[in-house]
Order: sequence, then C-alpha cells, then structure tokens
Amino acid sequence: MPATDYHASFLGRLSIRRNQVIAMDGNHEQELEDLELFSKHVSECFTELLSPPDDVPFDTLLSIPWLRKLLDVFLCCEAEFKAIIMMGNDSFQISKPPLDRLIPDLLDRSVKALDICNAVTNGLDSVRHYQKLAEIAASALEQKPIGDGQARRAKKALNSLMLAMSIDDKDCSAVKTTERSWSFSRRGVNKDRSPGHFRQVAKSWSAAKQIQTMACNLVPPRGAEASGLASPVYIMSVIMVFVMWALVAAIPCQDRNGLLATHFPVPKQLNWDQSIIGLHEKIGEEWKKKEKKGAAGLLAEMQKMEKLGHNLMEFTESFQFHGETDEKAAAHAAELAETCRRMEEGLLPLQVKIREVFHRIVRTRTEFLHALDQGGKSSAPLV
Amino acid sequence: MELPENPNKDNNGYESAEKIILRWDSTASEEAREKMIFETDRHEADRYLQAVDEIQRSLSNASISNNNNAAAAAVDDQSKVNSTIQIAMARLEDEFRNILMTHSSALETDSLFDPSSSSFSTPSHHELEEDDAVSNEDNSHDDLLQLQLQHCESSDSSTYRSTSSIREVDLMPAEAVSDLQAIAMRMISSGYLRECIQVYGSVRKSAIDSSFRKLGIEKLSIGDIQRLEWVALESKIRRWIRAAKVCIRILFASEKKLCEQIFECVGTNIDDACFMETVKGPAIQLFNFAEAISISRRSPEKLFKILDLHDALMDLLPDIESVFDSKSSDSIRVQAAEILSRLAEAARGILSEFEGAILREPSRVPVPGGTIHPLTRYVMNYISLISDYKQTLIELIMSKPSTGSRYSGDQSTPDMEFAELEGKTPLALHLIWIIVVLQFNLEGKSKHYRDASLAHLFIMNNVHYIVQKVKGSPELREMIGDDYLRKLTGKFRQAATSYQRATWVSVLYCLRDEGLHVSGSFSSGVSKSALRERFKTFNAMLEEVHRTQTTWLIPDTQLREELRISISEKLIPAYRSFLGRFRSHIESGKHPENYIKYSVEDLETAVLDFFEGFPVSHQNLRRRSQ
Repeated sequence: MPATDYHASFLGRLSIRRNQVIAMDGNHEQELEDLELFSKHVSECFTELLSPPDDVPFDTLLSIPWLRKLLDVFLCCEAEFKAIIMMGNDSFQISKPPLDRLIPDLLDRSVKALDICNAVTNGLDSVRHYQKLAEIAASALEQKPIGDGQARRAKKALNSLMLAMSIDDKDCSAVKTTERSWSFSRRGVNKDRSPGHFRQVAKSWSAAKQIQTMACNLVPPRGAEASGLASPVYIMSVIMVFVMWALVAAIPCQDRNGLLATHFPVPKQLNWDQSIIGLHEKIGEEWKKKEKKGAAGLLAEMQKMEKLGHNLMEFTESFQFHGETDEKAAAHAAELAETCRRMEEGLLPLQVKIREVFHRIVRTRTEFLHALDQGGKSSAPLV
Repeated sequence: MELPENPNKDNNGYESAEKIILRWDSTASEEAREKMIFETDRHEADRYLQAVDEIQRSLSNASISNNNNAAAAAVDDQSKVNSTIQIAMARLEDEFRNILMTHSSALETDSLFDPSSSSFSTPSHHELEEDDAVSNEDNSHDDLLQLQLQHCESSDSSTYRSTSSIREVDLMPAEAVSDLQAIAMRMISSGYLRECIQVYGSVRKSAIDSSFRKLGIEKLSIGDIQRLEWVALESKIRRWIRAAKVCIRILFASEKKLCEQIFECVGTNIDDACFMETVKGPAIQLFNFAEAISISRRSPEKLFKILDLHDALMDLLPDIESVFDSKSSDSIRVQAAEILSRLAEAARGILSEFEGAILREPSRVPVPGGTIHPLTRYVMNYISLISDYKQTLIELIMSKPSTGSRYSGDQSTPDMEFAELEGKTPLALHLIWIIVVLQFNLEGKSKHYRDASLAHLFIMNNVHYIVQKVKGSPELREMIGDDYLRKLTGKFRQAATSYQRATWVSVLYCLRDEGLHVSGSFSSGVSKSALRERFKTFNAMLEEVHRTQTTWLIPDTQLREELRISISEKLIPAYRSFLGRFRSHIESGKHPENYIKYSVEDLETAVLDFFEGFPVSHQNLRRRSQ
C-alpha cells in the first residue's frame, strides 16, 4: 500500500486512541506502546530487506528493485515517525527538551539528505548514460555472425563505457587513459573529459562527507530519555542515514571517498536495528570486494554491466572475423541487453521514487519548523 | 576523383567509395588523424559523404542480392561492407564531434541584449521607507524582528535587458548546421543513432555549462543555501531571475531549434531525444536553486523576494511548457509547477508566521518617551510593502486569518469580528488582522509603563502612526477600508482623551472653586491657607508634569500641536480665571511669589515644551514675565 495510505490509517488508529486519553501526563503508557510498535515495525521492514526481491537475478543486494523497496520502507517508517511526534502535541512537545535539541539535529540531517537525493538523481543520469553505451555494444554484438564492423563498433562503445565508469568514480585510481572517446588521439583541444555527465554541484561537495556529517552525533538516548520521544527520533535518524548511505554506495555521485568509513553506532540492547546493522555489514562487504577493482557504485545492474562489459571487451579486442558465431560472446551480449532492459525499466521509477522521498522530507521538515517556531519563546527569525 | 555514374559498374562505384572511406580511416593512417575532413576541404567533405552514400547503397543491394550468391561469400561481402560502414561511421562521429566543438562556445552576450523590449516591469521596485527621524532609536530595541527591509531594487538595465518572450538565436553558423545535418542523416540511416545522440548531447551540454557560468548560475547545494545569509541570497535570487529568463527563453529555446534543424529530416522523436539529452541536466540544475529557496526556513523578511521569485516563475511557466513540450520532459514541467506551488505555500506560511510573530513579540522594555515602537514601524512598513505586492498576493492568499487560537479561552488573543468585514478579500482580512494583532500587542506593552498617562500617550502615538501609514498608501487604504480606518482614528483620539484625563484632571482639580470658601459668604470668606495649599500643589504638580512630560515625545507634528492646544484650552483659561479670582488674596499675604510662581504667559510657553522628547531644564519653567 502506498506510504501515504499507511500514514492515514496509522494516524487514524492513533487519533481514536487519543480520544481515550484523559490527561497528557497519563499518556505515558500509550506512548510506550506506540514506541514499541514503531521499533518493532521498523525491525520487521528492514529484516525483509535482508533478502533481495524475488524477480532479481543478482547476488548482490543493491539492485534497482531493492533500492525501490528500501525507499518504500523509508517512506513508511517516516510516516509512522511523524505521526508519533505530532500526535496530539501540536507544537508543545517539540519545543521542550529533549526534542527541542534533537529535532533541529534531525532537520539538519534532512537537509543533507535532500542534497543526497539530488546528487543521486543526478548520478542516475550517469547510469542511464552507461546504459546507452552498453546498448550500442549489445545491439552491435547481437548480429549472428558478428562482423569486423560490429566488433569494432562494440569495442568503441565498451571503451567509452569503461572509461565513463571509471571517471565517474573517484575511488578508482587506475583511470584508463589509453583510449578516449575519440577514435584517435588529437592534438589540441579536448576538454570533453567526462562525456555525458553534467556536474550539478560544486567541486567541493562530497557525498561521503555529507553522510559522515549526518552520522556523527548519532547517539542513542540514555536513561529516562530512552523511554520518551527521543527514541523514535533516534530511530528515524539512523534510518535516514542508512538509506542515504545505501543510495550513495549504489549510485555514482560526486566523491564517495571514505564512505565505507562512515561510523554507524552499534548499541547493545536495542534490537530494532539488528537488520539495519546486518544490511550495513553486507553492503560494506561488497564495497570492500569492489574497491579493489574500482567500480562505479555498487548498483547490481551496473556491476553486471561492468563485468559483461569487460568480457565482451576482451572478446572484441581479440576478435577476428571467421564467419562463425561465438556462442559465449553471444550469450554475454544477450545478458548485457537484458541488463540494459532492466535498467531501462527501472531507472525512471527509481528516480520518481527518490523524488517522492525528497518531497516527503521537505514536507516533514516544513511542519517541524513550523511547530518549532510556534512553540518557541522568542520569535527571533532564524534563517 | 569523380565517382563513375554508370549503375552497371556497381563494383567500380563501390570500390572507389571504399577507397575514400579507407583513406580516412583514422585507426590506419597518420594523415587521416592529422586533418578533419570538414575543416579542410568542402569538396573532400562532399566526396566523403557521397562515398558513404554509395557504401550504404551497396549494403542494401548486397542484402537483396544475397540469394544469388553462395552463403559464405554473401556473409563475407556483408561483413566487409559493414566493416567499411563502421569505419565511415567512426569517422563521421569524429567529424560530427569536431564541428560541434568548434561551434560550442558560451552564448554570446550580444544575443542577450534585447533592444526591442523595455526594461523590467516587475513589481520589485520597492523601497521600504524608514521614518528618518527616529531610525537610530530602533537599534536599541533588538529583541524583535530585525528591521532592515531595504528593498532597493535598482533597475537592471545596465546588464541584461529583459527577456520577455521566447527568442531563438542561431547558436552556430548555417554552414555548420547543414554539415551536421548531412552527417546526422548518414549516421542515423546506418543505424548509428545512439552514437549520434551521445556525441551531440555531451558537446552541447558543455556549451550550456559555459553559458551557465557566464550567466552566473551557481552550483549551490540546498545545504549551502540554507546556511547563507538572506541578504546574500537576495542578490542571488535577483541574478537567478534574470538568468532563468535568458535560459528558458533564449538558451534552451535556441538549443531546441538547433536540434530541430540538425535532425530535421529524421523525425521529431530524434530531435526531442537530443534536445532532452542536452538540456535535462542543466534545466534541473537551474531549477534546483529555486527549489532550495522555496523550501528554506520561513521568516518575514523573506516574503518579498519569494514573491518576486514566484512571479518570475509564473511568468516563465508558459514558456517552460512550450520549450519542454514533449513527454520525456514531463519531469521538468512538473518540477517547475511544484516549485511554484511551494513558493506560494511559503508566502502563505510566512504571512501567518508573521502574524504569529507580531502577537508573540515579547519585548517589555518600554520605549522611552512613549514614542512609536519599532515594532509598529516594522509592521506598518511591512504591510505597506505587502500592499504593493497586492496583485500577486490576492491570488495566493485564499483563506482567512486564523484568529482562533491555541491560547484560547483567555484574553491572550485579540478579537476580530468578521461580520462587519463582509466582502473583503482574504488578503485584506489578513492586513486588518495584522493591525488588530499589532494593537493588541501594543496594548500589552503599554502596561509596562508605570505612568498611566504615558501608556495612553504611547497608544495614541502608535495608533496614529498606523492611521497615517494606511492613509499614505492608496492600495493599503483601499484594502483596510474607511470603516476600519475610522475605528482606528477613534481609538487614538480616545487615547488622547484618556491621557488628558489621566494627567490633567488632578492638576486642574487644584484650580477648582469648591473648598476654598469658608462660611456662606461669597466674597470675603476665602481660606487663605487652603488657597496657598492649592497654589503650592498646583505648582508642584505642574512642575512635575512639565519635568516628566517634556521628555515624552509625540513624533507627529500635527498631533503634537493638537494635543498641546487641547491642553492649553483647558489649562490656560482655568488658570487665568483662578488667578483672576484669587490672586489678590495671595498678594495680600506674605511671600506671594512662593505661591503665584507662574503667569499665564509662563504656562502658555511651558505647554510648548511638552512632547518634544528632550528634557527641558526645570529652570525654564519660570516666570518670564513679571
């Protein structure tokens, strides 16, 4: 069910209960129950994410369908979270400790998350660019048997593909400079270093740094605070950081150096985040594996594309026309075409979903800001 | 070298064509790498294109004549032709890229000047006038909404003229366009469409990037924008508005035209695809700035720039829809519409935050001298400016002000009867509500004066200022309405009356007749001691009032005069008559000068000292006349 519907029904459930409440202070038991429900639900959602969706043939986690599920989970948890915070409180609770300190922190993280959404959306354009290049190669190699012309064409496209993937990923140190997007090296002007990618952020912006900043100060509430609203705020913050982290791990965006080093807090008692920690570890493993080869993002479809691309490139480099079909190469080409098709189908909906997440974060942030201003003692306007 | 035209000599035609293609195979020869065909020699370029055509023809012929040859040979032939085609396509791709790069510099600034159109007619020529007299005092009252609304929008005619409608320019010379067209045709008909789009997109994108830099479009993140001071953002917004107009109406429109020209012969889907490939990223980057502004934290001083941005985007919307009219550009149109609606929401939100902020404005330090409170100035200047933006805001503000409150049940919110405000637009209701709330707050502030008279004076000053401001702006006056204006006028007049009562009743009480006569007799039975007391008390009170109230201030000259006259009208005749009736009794006793200290003229002069706002030495309130 779409996240907004879920929100509505959850809210409906809460408001019925609200009417049964006698006094604000006597709300405590209700609150505890709601908090427990929330963390249980979070745990369930993320446990489901531990296994990839059914129709996905990849062994790595971060595929396009999985990312969409991840974002759905985010939207769902976010709706619950907001309902809990805003429940019957107007602006009251938000402007009192500890929320008066914790919510602004969350809002800071929200702003960074918004920038990451934009960066990732931009990064998906790069992915689409890879897809286009791969499609050239795949369609060239579809012919049976393959001629010299097609092989060369595929080789050119695959070279561009490999180059693009390595340029877009600053983690990789071995940038292929042998072949450029030109078919020969030209003297003079060639400023077109990063073909197909329009950089939307300043050179100094770093996705990894954003995530790291988001993750610092993520401290679980202790003692009395832990049984109050500080808990869901913490949970939501962790979710937000994790989701953004996963997106950046998957999709090429500017400067992901040091992403792996992002410190995730590991509390002992709380079990709602076991799955999240599990996912974090799993993805971290994949990252380590890939870091040696220097991949442009962990997105499963992209990794597949890269692997097939390498294979086919070897094939095309050693190609000699002999009028017979190389079955292996043909199979790879078909797989590549299939991967492109998955991308074609999945990228736009993923971008739409990210945009939805963007809007939701904006909406919640606006509401929280309003509540903070209402409940604030002084009306000094803050920018 | 001429290609033979004899169709029967297919092979010869093919062979010579093949030769040309192979000669220009850049992977094979140094010479081929050194030069670009289309740069070098028009004839050579034509020959090359003809050669490509010839090869393409062979390809279709070869597939037709497949049946006639042995399978293996056919495959061989086909492969050879394909190979030649690939070489040609690779070459053409490079030529294509080269031509594009040669003509892909940033948009010339000349084309940004629109000599035919007039300069801006945006509603942003505003100057928030501060009353000059007391602007320095404001800085001392800091715990309220900071008041630096100096919206001095200078006319921008020195840089870009306004771009008021779509105006396509030629981004490259016609010859280049026709060359590109010729190459594109061959590439696409050989099935190399994807490569064509890729090359086109990547080169044109970097051209747009240069244009963006020239237009001053920055790559700021949302985080950056939230951190910047609003004043800095204001100039960025101004710049963005100018740049956006150029981008949409000239830059993007011209790119679209270029795509249409180059891919004219091959159908609209393709030129659409190329156009989107080129401008999608830049368009999103352009809008990201406006989006970031639309979600920034709301505070009152942001209202007007946000309205400017809203209006600019509103104005651009039809052009955005016309430039981005294909299915694949849905997301851009949608984003523009989303931003517009967020800006509208932000404007509404700011207005209601503003109202709340006025209500809650907590400063308790009474303004010295009972003069106009900085809050009053700020609010009235603010709503004058709002009335300048009336056209936009009337569309945006759709609901009545929320007068029902969280603080309900008690006296902590003002009241507004909507019944008598029938037929007013929501915007007008908001403005009236703002004035209501302002007054309410001022009432609260007036209670911090220990002296009740000063409290009344304070109210009088401030409400009068409100009335003057409303009268001074025709739009504001029209929205507030004369009914409410009358109410306000009545209010400050009543405050004046209350002030007079509070101060002068007791002073004039000293000059009453009762209690001075002893026994029944009228002429002679005057209690000298009582009389002396009266004079002493009167003098003391007067001196005290004079000492205090000369430091009070009524900034408005006319109001000051009126109040002084009103005081005089009561004080002077009363004193004159008192003196007239009783001076002889004092003068007949000892030390009359201790009791009759002041003449009528002295009093008249003294009244002139009132409400000037600076202390007059007590010495001055003395006899000037003998």
